[in-house]
Amino acid sequence: MSTAKTQEYTIQGKPAASGIAIGKAVIINSESKTITPTSIKKKEAADHKERFLESKKNLTAKLEEMSGELKDTTTAEIIDTQQQIIQDPEIEKSVFDIIDNKLLSVDFAIYQTYCTFIERLKESGSELFRQRIIDLEDIRDQFIAEVCDQKNLKSIKKGSIIITREISPTDLVSYYEDGATGLIMEKGGTTAHAAIIAKSLGMPCIVNAKRATKEAVKNETIILNADEGMVILRPSDKTVKSYKAKLKAQKKASKLTCSNDFETTDGVSFKLMANIEFEAELDNAAKSGSQGVGLLRTEGLLFGKRVRNSPAEQQEFYEQIVAGTEGPVTIRLFDIGGDKNARRPHKEANPFLGWRGIRLLLDEKKLLRNQLQAILTVAGKYPGRVKVLVPMISVIDEVRQIRNEIEKIQKDLLSSGMDIDEKVPLGLMVEVPSVALSAYQFAKEVDFMSIGSNDLTQYTLAVDRGNERIHTLFQHYHPSVLKLIKMTVDGARKADVEISVCGELAGDEIGVACLFGFGIKELSMVPSSVPTINKLLCSKSSEEFTELANQAIELSSSEELEQLYGEWK
Amino acid sequence: MIKKKVTIKNSAGLHARPSAQLVKLASKFKSDFYIHSYGYRVNGKSILGVMTLAAEYGAELELELDGADEEEALEAIIEAVENKFGMKDE
Repeated sequence: MSTAKTQEYTIQGKPAASGIAIGKAVIINSESKTITPTSIKKKEAADHKERFLESKKNLTAKLEEMSGELKDTTTAEIIDTQQQIIQDPEIEKSVFDIIDNKLLSVDFAIYQTYCTFIERLKESGSELFRQRIIDLEDIRDQFIAEVCDQKNLKSIKKGSIIITREISPTDLVSYYEDGATGLIMEKGGTTAHAAIIAKSLGMPCIVNAKRATKEAVKNETIILNADEGMVILRPSDKTVKSYKAKLKAQKKASKLTCSNDFETTDGVSFKLMANIEFEAELDNAAKSGSQGVGLLRTEGLLFGKRVRNSPAEQQEFYEQIVAGTEGPVTIRLFDIGGDKNARRPHKEANPFLGWRGIRLLLDEKKLLRNQLQAILTVAGKYPGRVKVLVPMISVIDEVRQIRNEIEKIQKDLLSSGMDIDEKVPLGLMVEVPSVALSAYQFAKEVDFMSIGSNDLTQYTLAVDRGNERIHTLFQHYHPSVLKLIKMTVDGARKADVEISVCGELAGDEIGVACLFGFGIKELSMVPSSVPTINKLLCSKSSEEFTELANQAIELSSSEELEQLYGEWK
Repeated sequence: MIKKKVTIKNSAGLHARPSAQLVKLASKFKSDFYIHSYGYRVNGKSILGVMTLAAEYGAELELELDGADEEEALEAIIEAVENKFGMKDE
């Protein structure tokens, strides 16, 4: 198959998390590709059928897990129907028939079976059922992904480099814990969820590396140079040697302690915090010099291989994070929806404008209350350390409802003899332009506000950041986004509440220079960006930043700002 | 083996939810269950089979049951059809 694959070969991608890694390639096919009929031998048939049954079992379990505690009646019904489709005896019959009699592989058997049923449904002509076809296609693809996953379900060796089309954050973390040292993705932009996590784990990562899963050969040594956005396959001995030297030099350099001044040249102090999602990231957060956790994402508790959604499990997790860092910890309530759980049973035409964040939580009271109870219990144990952050607020009433819920749970905790933090701060995410535009009115209702620049950019410029075709339009320091941020800062100041930024913008030099210029003194970012941002803010006076920011909002494009920044710096 | 004809009474026909109910109910019994309708014959324990029937209001279905508990199963299924599968009329 790979006769000519002996020459050193470089694939270019985009750098998403800096660093260099040398290791053995592990190729993970987590997504269904075009399925082509593959012949199998008669004696392999039993094995293929077994794989079908195993996948069916896993898929059923996954679906149950996925629904987590989201058990309103509509969800329950949809999941019920999906389960029935997975369990359908006619599907099994047809899959077995194709494997046994046509001697074709299980992935193709599943593909063909579902396609046949989809065709029949289309022919049946009923509009009601035509709407289910997308569900069927979804189940088909999940099924195929599942049987292919199984084939590749190998534990990886320490020092491996993962090559994949795309990967879920939880899977990435479990590979990291198994000792993976680098990540190469064929798909995705630099803001893909997995890329952000890789950065936070300090794992070199490139995205957009075309055909990497096809060109690489498993177990061969490869070099990932994420600083220059490339991967070298089949490197010559000479190349390996030079990279080993580079790696050594880098390790040495990273040991040099970064300055921990956190002050501008004219003595204005600032706080740099870490955005994290998993315990595994605490180490890097501490090493980076960050002063606390400015954003703890919690969705990872609900999905993937390690679901930890009971109040006790959640409490343990929050406590580990709070105990594992010294500063304050801002816990964001489950931000489910949008791109954060692609396999939700409800298909929505516009998930980013749909049932996500607070909107979902207020409908799923049990989920909300379990989480609040766990957070507030930990807050009581560590008074003054925990803050609660609410995602996807778009109208004021949502804040009031959450405050009521918190008050009720605090009372319950108190009456059952638990300690509480009476002043646990409640904050909202500024992600929807409506909040920025009426910032003062929203600010009056809360104790702090945190700007989620990724979603704010997405909603302001009407650009889906996950869409590769238009990703160049995702410009988080576009002057119109900066204007909304400025309005938010003014509103927060008038209401005398704290304001911070926790999106990617807070880890971007141009973004930070402007944010600080607007008067934002607290920034939360992936831990690996902390040293660079610290250095930038320590290098100038607060006045210089203000001047830059004032000019920035008068500009008409991101390119103009880049030019201005170049001259200013 | 026993057979019996029934008529769908749900005004929206045998759409996703009643189909799911029907399959769920039939799967509780050991007997094989087939539905004949306008020249088609589908497995009544297969959600996709039942969906492809696209049975609308007034559609006539012939239920075919074969097995140890066929009587009991037929009775339960007929009752469900009569009760519109517990749906309030939509």
